[in-house]
Order: sequence, then C-alpha cells, then structure tokens
Amino acid sequence: MNKGVLMYCFNTDQVAYHRVADVSIGLAKQHLGLPITVVTNRSTLDSWHNPPDVNFIVVNNDTNNTKLGLPWYNLERCEAIEHSPYDCTIVIDVDYLCFSKKLLQYTETVHDFLIHSAAHDVSYRQALTYERKSMLPLVWATVLIFRKTYQVRKIFDTVKLVKSHYQHFCNLYRIDYRNFRNDYAFAIALHQCNGYHAYDIIPDSIATLPHDCTVLSYNDTGLNYRYQDKINRIESQDLHVLNKGFVNV
Amino acid sequence: MDINELKSHSDLSFDRAVAKKNLLARAESELITVYQDHIFRADAVTIASVRALMESQEHFFMLDSNSNPVKIDSPKEFLDLLIQRQQSALNTYHQTYQSLKSLKD
Repeated sequence: MNKGVLMYCFNTDQVAYHRVADVSIGLAKQHLGLPITVVTNRSTLDSWHNPPDVNFIVVNNDTNNTKLGLPWYNLERCEAIEHSPYDCTIVIDVDYLCFSKKLLQYTETVHDFLIHSAAHDVSYRQALTYERKSMLPLVWATVLIFRKTYQVRKIFDTVKLVKSHYQHFCNLYRIDYRNFRNDYAFAIALHQCNGYHAYDIIPDSIATLPHDCTVLSYNDTGLNYRYQDKINRIESQDLHVLNKGFVNV
Repeated sequence: MDINELKSHSDLSFDRAVAKKNLLARAESELITVYQDHIFRADAVTIASVRALMESQEHFFMLDSNSNPVKIDSPKEFLDLLIQRQQSALNTYHQTYQSLKSLKD
C-alpha cells in the first residue's frame, strides 16, 4: 500500500500560499518522508520560480468563497479521494507545519478515515471550541487521513452533497458560520454517514497559532512566536499557523 | 513591591504558565501510540491496567482510544511499548521543565 501527502494550494490577492507551501512541503518531506502531491491552479503554479520536487495536479479551482471577508479558495478538498494518487493519504493544510512524525503512525491503524475533533490555541487565550455555534460537534479538516474504501468514498460523496446544499445544512444544524467551511462539511458528512452517532477520531488536539501571533523565526524543529510582548517557542510539535506572514521571516 | 516590579513578575509567571501548558500538550500528544493497528494512549491508567491484567491473564482485551475492543496477544511487548512511550514523553517534558523553572531565579 503506497502512502503520501496531499496539499491544496491556491494563491489569493492577499496571500502567496505557494510560499507557505514551500515551508510546509519542506517540513513534511523531512519529518514524514512521504511523496507529496500538491493540487493547485495554473496561476499559482506559475508563481513558483523554483517549484518544489513534488507531484502537481493542476485544476480550475472554485473561487466563490470568502473567509473573514477575504477570498479563500479551499473548496476542492471534498475531491481529495479523486485527487490523491495514494492508497493511504494524509491531507494537510498548507499552513500545517510538521515538526514531528506523529501523523505517520495514524496511517498504520485499522481506521479508514481519521480526523481531529479538537484544537487548542498555543498562546492559551482563546478556547477553540464551537459547541454553541452549531448543533453538531465540529471536526478540524486541517488534517485528514484516509484510505480509498467504499465507506470513505461515501463520506467524500456526502461532503460534496453538503457543499452543494450548504445553506440548507447550515439551517438544519443551526450553524452560525454561513460561508462554506470544510470543518463543518466534514462534521456533517461524518455525522450522517455514521448514523448520527460518534465516529473514530484522532485522540489529539491540533496546536494552533492564532492570527494575531507573529512568527519571529522557525527552523526544522520548531518555531518562535510573539503575542504583544510575550515570546514563546513551540518545539517538535506540529503546528497550524493561521498568520501566513511567517513566510516573510 | 512597586507596580512595575509586580507587572514584570506577573509577565514572567504568565510566560512560564503558557510554556508549561504547551510542554504538557506536547507530552500528552506524544503519549499517543499505535499497537496492533489500534490507537492507545500510553498514560498511567493504561499502563496500570495492562500490568494488572498481565498478572492473571496470558491474553486479554483492552479498549483503544475510540473504545474499540482489541485482543492483546503479546502483553509484555505492549507494556514495554507503553512504558517506553510514556517515559520518553515525560523525560522530554522533565528536561524542558527544568530549564523553565530556572527562569524564576
């Protein structure tokens, strides 16, 4: 069974995601040691002066979504099962930095589909919980680990259905956040595909660096960040970095 | 103590508290391990359960982190893995915690 990493990378006018991808690709190669496939569009691919040594899939991506009032192109994730050339795939956001090899172990389990149900703010100011924002538990589509089985195909098919009728599902589950969000789409799909009961998850929490934290420096094993006059370091722990400005460090 | 001294003392305590929380989060993440294709947490409860069951059973059943049942065929191997994983995580936590503690001096 071959394994690999799949990333989605689409530049916007505000963020050069290909530069973010350069960092996460380097770290994923170093710590996970797996082949990497990047799904991107033509203009983003052309932005790479020195494209990384990965497999590229070029698509015409959907550009009809925003996040926090800015363009946000991440609507293709529901097609990961078609895009992935691997039997077992680790899908990671381009802003998820692998500073450890812990994701590898989840490819060696009986589970055909795994996702996180928890995340925490490493500056410990915000509780990243959304119990009051909808009628179902949120999952974090930042990292997906899946095999191409019949059951997993049904999950992805359901995510596509949810995407097509997102406002209806927002009403059904009383979701506050009305722009399409993969986290909710996967949460709904898992809820429906698992008979409205609990499903298996990664029993870990995604360490998350919030937007208002500034990255001061990073290397192969960790990252220094600042919030106001507070400086701290994350070492040997995977990190979801929401402030994309770190590529300018 | 004047207000500036109090503020810097409080700031240092805050930094230490956040750093400690992150170290603990990292240690808890490192406790997660896979054995016989199932996910377990190498915490004290799991280790104590395996140890207790080993005393009277050659093979036994455990619940993984998603409450799926698993037949443990090689308890000694499983226990060794759990202890190795737990001590590795706590050793890292301990080493970094020592340097953190020295910040107050």
